[in-house]
Amino acid sequence: MTESFMAPLLISLKTVLATTVITFFLGISAARWMARYTGKFRNFIDGLFILPVVLPPTVVGFGLLVLFGKNGPLGALLNVFNTSIVFSWPATVVAAVIMSFPLMYMTSRGGFEQVDINIENAARTLGASEWRIFWTVTMPLAWPAIVSGTILAFARALGEFGATLMLAGNIPGKTATIPVAIYFNIQAGHMDQALSLVLIVLVISFASLTALAYWKGKTKRTTIIAPETL
Amino acid sequence: MLEVEIKKAVGNFYLDLKLSVNREILSILGPSGSGKTMTLLCIAGLMRPDTGYIKLNGKVLYDSKEKIFLSARQRNIGFVFQNFALFPHLTVNENIAYGIKDQPKDIVTSKVQELLKLMHIPSLGSRYPREISSGQQQRVALARAIAPSPDALLLDEPFSALDTPQRERLEYELVGIQELYNKDFLFVTHDLTQGYKLSTRLAVFDAGRIAQCDYKKNVVNRPLSQAVAKLTGIKNLMEGYITNIEGNNIHVLVPELDKPLHIFSANSGHFTVSDQVTIGIRPEYVQIAENEGENTICCDARQLIDGVSCVRGRFNAASDTERKYNFEVDLQGQVKNQPAEGCMCMLYFPPEKLVVFNR
Repeated sequence: MTESFMAPLLISLKTVLATTVITFFLGISAARWMARYTGKFRNFIDGLFILPVVLPPTVVGFGLLVLFGKNGPLGALLNVFNTSIVFSWPATVVAAVIMSFPLMYMTSRGGFEQVDINIENAARTLGASEWRIFWTVTMPLAWPAIVSGTILAFARALGEFGATLMLAGNIPGKTATIPVAIYFNIQAGHMDQALSLVLIVLVISFASLTALAYWKGKTKRTTIIAPETL
Repeated sequence: MLEVEIKKAVGNFYLDLKLSVNREILSILGPSGSGKTMTLLCIAGLMRPDTGYIKLNGKVLYDSKEKIFLSARQRNIGFVFQNFALFPHLTVNENIAYGIKDQPKDIVTSKVQELLKLMHIPSLGSRYPREISSGQQQRVALARAIAPSPDALLLDEPFSALDTPQRERLEYELVGIQELYNKDFLFVTHDLTQGYKLSTRLAVFDAGRIAQCDYKKNVVNRPLSQAVAKLTGIKNLMEGYITNIEGNNIHVLVPELDKPLHIFSANSGHFTVSDQVTIGIRPEYVQIAENEGENTICCDARQLIDGVSCVRGRFNAASDTERKYNFEVDLQGQVKNQPAEGCMCMLYFPPEKLVVFNR
């Protein structure tokens, strides 16, 4: 029994970790770009980026299957290198990245848009390069939003079920993440195994939300300092 | 020496101007939306003009013909923003040190200390911007802007968020800083008194163009257009046409008034008889006359307003026509003949104080 819940836990942790790292960089890059992009395709691209959050996960999963299937454009490309991701562990990451990306993107874009353009302009007139401005001004000022986005993306990746099942399937010890394993355990009547996985998810989710709340409270408290007047 | 000649169109708005700053504080004066901030952004390299050139001490920063456009970071021009734009997550020390490049740490530290002393805030270095007052924040913003030793400094209504005593102190200090560094300062404001105090020359903006750029006395006493006149506080404007010109003496008939007005103007060469013109006079130059004579208008006193620094009166020209002219008169110093509300009196417009410009 230990083994049967250890395997989904390890797969989920690996998937969630990889997903959070990938989504973090993808989401921030897209958000930073869109925060200052004023071209005519703005609304279209924005809609495309947040689409996975409004679509049923099975629809996204279906789309991914089409894309990554043998005859799909991305599947054909991978086929050239003699590989395929459908029903393999990387598929759990692909599905989770697509599903968690909109949360990271939306939250950090809000953070970037909050940064006063004059503050960035001030850095420009002080001779700072765009790279330096991003790391020393924009990122620190948007940091609270980026942390929120990361935790939301992490939680979404942990809970990902529909798209993962469609693209990665349920291969025990290979692609069966915790949510998928819970579903199939219940199907098979293994209620105790399902319950232990449910408890694990509860603990991880609650811990990450508490961490977020604690961290937010901490940053808020430090900002409340009575201003001293001349 | 900063030399600017740029054009830029944004929507319906056209910026088209030429100006130069030569080791002085040049004040740009104008109503909001006249292109003042846009001009500063173009000079700083934060906005790209459509055509023209920008040169600083002979170095080309922008030239549309030669396709030169240096980015803001390559220009070495300081910028002070209206809302201070300090880095909220950095201390005062770190804010000021941000633009000091390629120096060992101890030199940066001593330079920051020196600037803090110059701005009279030596002990605030380790505070965060949110922990100091707005006046102190603006001092930090000023120190940060001059820290990289810029070749020019642009100030965009920097003191408008401050209260009067702080603003006056900083205005005084800014003049001292300019004298100390002897660089080109461009100061944007919508307040004539502030511009007058800081600068020897004023550039008046109107709808993206420079309506007048001259020594401040000339701008105030000899405005070239109605826009300049209005902005510099000439409240009593009248429309009429020229009936006669003799040397520097111009006679203008304002249809609503019962007699022509005599104006003494050094610019009389610019005008010809029957030109449609606007004439005006500042409230403080209008006098109360005892007897009827040249340039006196019979008026009734409508309202007297007792302000802190002056008593202002509003008068209606007592003519029969439907359009009545309202005059505003500064009654401070009018020892004799203080009018009473509702009474008739004579206003006298001294010929040398009346200004005239084409409509």
